[in-house]
Formats: sequence, C-alpha cells, structure tokens
Amino acid sequence: MIGAAIAIGFQAALVLLLSPLVTGFNRFLKARVQLRRGPGVLQPYRDIFKLLRKGMVIPETASWIFTVTPYLLFVTTLLASLLIPMVSALAPLSLFGGVLAVVYLLALGRFFTALAGLDTGSSFGGLGSSREMTISAIAEPALMLAVFTVAIGAGSTNLSTVALSALGQSWRFLAPSQMLAFAALFIVLIAETGRIPVDNPSTHLELTMIHEAMILEYSGPYLALIEWSAAMKQLVLMMLMVNVFFPFGLSEDWSPLAVLISLAWFLLKLLLLSLAVAIVEVSNAKMRLFRVPELLAVAFVLSALALVSTFLFQA
Amino acid sequence: MHFWQDPQFGNRMITLMAALVLVLQIMMVTERWIITNIRAFALQSFLLACIANTIAYYNNAPHIYAAAVFMLLVKAILLPVVFERLVKRIDIRQEIEPFVNAPITVIVTGLLTLLAYVVAEAFHRPDEPMGPASLGHNTLAVAIALFLIGFFMMVNRRKALTQVLALLSLENGIFLAAISLTYGMPMIVEVGIFFDVLVAGMVLAILVYRIRETFDSMDVTRLSRLKG
Repeated sequence: MIGAAIAIGFQAALVLLLSPLVTGFNRFLKARVQLRRGPGVLQPYRDIFKLLRKGMVIPETASWIFTVTPYLLFVTTLLASLLIPMVSALAPLSLFGGVLAVVYLLALGRFFTALAGLDTGSSFGGLGSSREMTISAIAEPALMLAVFTVAIGAGSTNLSTVALSALGQSWRFLAPSQMLAFAALFIVLIAETGRIPVDNPSTHLELTMIHEAMILEYSGPYLALIEWSAAMKQLVLMMLMVNVFFPFGLSEDWSPLAVLISLAWFLLKLLLLSLAVAIVEVSNAKMRLFRVPELLAVAFVLSALALVSTFLFQA
Repeated sequence: MHFWQDPQFGNRMITLMAALVLVLQIMMVTERWIITNIRAFALQSFLLACIANTIAYYNNAPHIYAAAVFMLLVKAILLPVVFERLVKRIDIRQEIEPFVNAPITVIVTGLLTLLAYVVAEAFHRPDEPMGPASLGHNTLAVAIALFLIGFFMMVNRRKALTQVLALLSLENGIFLAAISLTYGMPMIVEVGIFFDVLVAGMVLAILVYRIRETFDSMDVTRLSRLKG
C-alpha cells in the first residue's frame, strides 16, 4: 500500500519535473541542428514559473468551460502518464486501466481544449478547434490501431503486461508489426505534439497555427497549466513509444537500484527519440493544412498494415 | 555462436524485409511520380535480393546466392537505370494517372492483401519444426499479395511505362514465392527467368519509346485509335 503510494508519487513527480525539460531539450536540439544558439534547456521552467506569477485576463463571454479546461487538461494528462511504464514495467496505476484509458484520457483533454477554444467566441479559437479536431479524427484511429497491434502480441491491453511480455522476447522489435506500428506512432507523435510538418509550435501565424489558435485567449496561470500539460502529453507519447516498443533496461519491479538503472536507460532512449524528432523537424518544411490529412492517412495505413501483418506472418 | 547465426534471428530479418517489400508495393500503388516509382521498385528488388541472400546463408545453398546476385544486377540496378534514362529521354509528364483515386486504391490494396492471407493460410503448417529449411515459409502471403497488387496496378494505369513497372513488381512476387517455398528453382531455370525478364524489360522500354514517338503520349488508351 505504502509502496504503491510511493510509486505513484515518484512517477508523478518525475513526469511533472521532467516534461518541461524534454520540451526545452527538444528546442535546444532543434536550434543546434539549425546551427542556432537557441534558448537554454531550462527555458520552459522559467516560462511556466513566470506565467504562474502573472495576473489573468478572462474574456467576458467565457463560461465555466473556459475556467475548468486548464485543470481538466492537466489532471487527465497526468493520470494518463501514470498508466504507462516509465522507470518500472509496473506502471503505478496500471490496475485502473490499459492503453484505452490512456488514449481516451488524452482525448478528453483535447475535447475540452477544443470546447474552450469555441467558448470565448473569438474566430481564431473556433478555427483552431476545427483544425485540431480534423487532425485528431485521423490521428486517433491510427494511434489506436498501432497500440492494438502491440496489445495483440501480448494478449492484453494493459501496458504493464505488454511491457513485461516484451521484456521476455528477444528480437521482438524486429517483427514487422512492431516496426510498422512504431513508424505510425512516430507520425502520430509529430501530429499530436504539433511539430513541424504538421504545425509550427514557435509561431503565432493565423494561417498555420492549430494548437496555439485554440489557447489564444488564455493567459497567466491558466496558460502555464496548458503549456505544462502540452509538455506532459509529449512525454506521455514518447514514454509509450520507447518503453512499449524498446523496453531495454526497464526494471521489472520497484526496487531502488533497478529503478535508477532503468531511469538512465529511459533518458537515453528519450534522447535518441528527441534527436529523431529534431531531425525530422529541421529537414522538412511545414505542410499545407490540406496535405496534413494525407500524412495522417499514411500513418493510418501503416498501422493497419501493422495489424494485418501480425496475422500475415503468423508470428 | 554469434547472434546472426541463430535461425530465429534470420527468420526475424526475413519477415521484416518481406514486410518492407509489401510496404514498398503499396507505396508504388499510391505514388504519383514515375521516378519515385522506379526507385521504389529498385529498392524492392534490392530487399528481395537480401531475402534470397539470407535464405542462402542459412541453408548453405550456392544456387540461391546466384539468384540473389542476378536479382541485384538485373532488377535492382540495370532495369531501374534503363527506365530512368528512358523517362529523361522522352521527357514525359511525370505524373502517373491511375483510373481510380488514391483512397479507393488503398482500400482495394487492403482487400487484395486480405485475400492473399486467406489463400496462404491453407499452406500454413504451425506444427512444422523451426529450422533453416523452413525459413521464409511465412512470406508466402506477402508473395501472393505482391502478385495480386501488381496485377491490380497493371490494370489501374494508363501509361505504358508504369504498366511495365507493375508487371515487373508482379514478377517480384513470383520470385518471392519461388524462393520462400522451394529454395528457388534449379540454376538453369533461374538464369532463363532472369534473362527473360531482362529482355522483356529492354523490349518493353523500346516499345514504350516507339509508342511515345508515334502517338506523342504513353497513354495506352490511345492505341485503339487508327493512325493514318
């Protein structure tokens, strides 16, 4: 009982503290690949800290949805992160739900963000909500099919079971279903975190912005919560990818030494994935909005193929 | 024993490459640019050569090595180079014009893959012992899928050159089936087939050039018109 509480507290603290660092590190890597100096790795912490101390402007037209959304987004994302193995194959809350819970906790947060975008009645908010929903309508099935592929291999949608069974098999990640599902998830990661071929996180240009348009009316502590949730969501998706597909060094229990070792492994894998994302971001141009569904359709076809190939190769 | 001598590892690699071959085939069906199509075909042939090479390595079978080398030389290097030069020489509009649009194509491709799975299921023996001799048996479904999708691609396209590519990728499916089920055919048959493919590729390339010269287009639907 106390062990479980410690596990929950440890992973929650780790996710909360690590997620801005991952965002900052991604920006740093991207800047370095572009031969810029860029902001420091710790900049997201400073941004969040600054925003938390500022005053807030709430539009007169806003209803309760506008005020509830930041908290809801923050809590659902944090809960989703506790369902995924991070430093131990036994995720702290894995008894409460599997991968479906993760996907739909994230979807709940997105749904309320879109509602909040519409709520203020500003035209940009509605535009952002409509775009976000268009993209997630295709990204979500791709994500689901990809995780189902993994779940079929393990015989369970519980991510701890999946990670444990993945630990037991050598060369598992070479299976075509795993590779294809990973490729599909990579595209979904790019789309869901608003990276460059899909969205540009560093501009506020009305023609292109998606996520930024929805949260345009937020300021102060609410904005801090939303930015923090966005960072956590990115970490959640990355955790899902590295620990479910490449569970090297993942500890099978919560003994302190094993957890420290698997934390080191986890950071290494995260670094490699961030590097891949940075390279994709630097080497691509932003897509036209109407081309984005085509990219996501590729992800969908890849994950459908992944699912089919588990049967095709009788593996 | 090194890890690459483990047949289990070989099986993983073959399965993975076969999956990539299937992905490339689906990419070819939906791709709009002829040059990209030719390169996808070259990569597909290269992967098939790798599969043949892997099977040869685990079975110590020299004649499969020979098949792999032929595959590499003829279909992964020679024919793609010839086709790319042809595309540059006749300066065609490089977009392929299929009869049905991309989403329907993908759905049809998916259905054909399922059909291939149903057909290959009948040949599957799960109780078979795992060893070098059974390597690649699970790629039969992919081979049949390549064959069916290649056929669909041939029907779906207007331009002569892209139909030739479709025919060749269909032939890739036959190669994969042969190598996965029977360790490849006897040497002399193998040489005959590759010579056949080479000559067919060359002749078709010339034919495409002639069609283009005569009709100012590679669109084969124009062939039914009388020319004075």
